[in-house]
Amino acid sequence: MAATDSRPFFLNLIKIRLPVQGMVSIFHRVTGVLMFIAIPFMAWLLDMSLQGEQGFSHTIEILSAPFSLFVIAIMTWSLVHHLLAGIRYLFIDFELGLSKQQSRYSAWLVFIIEFILLVLLFWVVCL
Amino acid sequence: MSSPGLQGLRPWIIQRISAVYIGLFVIYFASVLLTSLPLSAGEWRLWMTWPVNTISTGLFIIALLWHCWIGIRDVVLDYVPNVVVRMMLLTLVVCVLFGSGLWMMKALILVLAQ
Repeated sequence: MAATDSRPFFLNLIKIRLPVQGMVSIFHRVTGVLMFIAIPFMAWLLDMSLQGEQGFSHTIEILSAPFSLFVIAIMTWSLVHHLLAGIRYLFIDFELGLSKQQSRYSAWLVFIIEFILLVLLFWVVCL
Repeated sequence: MSSPGLQGLRPWIIQRISAVYIGLFVIYFASVLLTSLPLSAGEWRLWMTWPVNTISTGLFIIALLWHCWIGIRDVVLDYVPNVVVRMMLLTLVVCVLFGSGLWMMKALILVLAQ
């Protein structure tokens, strides 16, 4: 490696400034892992919610707890981001939007649509 | 990486096909939820016993678990270089996904049996 090389010598996660495409990518991973962790809990809730009046009302009770609302918010964001970033990757698989400029625009588009969708969802559900 | 069965084009394609199905189902399910809240216990069970919904939910569970296996597998292969730890983690992931899958299928089958 040349002495004049200015690339980071070690990988300090705080000092790395990811381009927007990289942000879409790392959040795609993080949200995927988060939703994987949620799967057993979803199985538990699905099963309980389908077990008569009592199971259903118990499920609603659990989902309405303050901590659950926090988890639901994280999971909603995860789903929306993962879905939108996934759609972007499908376009890229079909070799659409491969240039540096286009991939930057589509990455921004993911975050913009994500923000609008989350605001809309919040508005529809909470108001 | 030379573990057999952990690379190649097949998982790549399955990842994409399952993604499309999951995406469509999620949009369908979210629109059902958003238009029919608040749901009662009876309405929720009735919805699930409607054959289109039982079958599409069953397929969703299979697509989700398969998609998830490929994704988490890729993450583990990327970040865990130690072969022993890697295999232990992958085994744990299989157990979690398979167990969750059985649990969700049990819930669907019991709804139909009631």
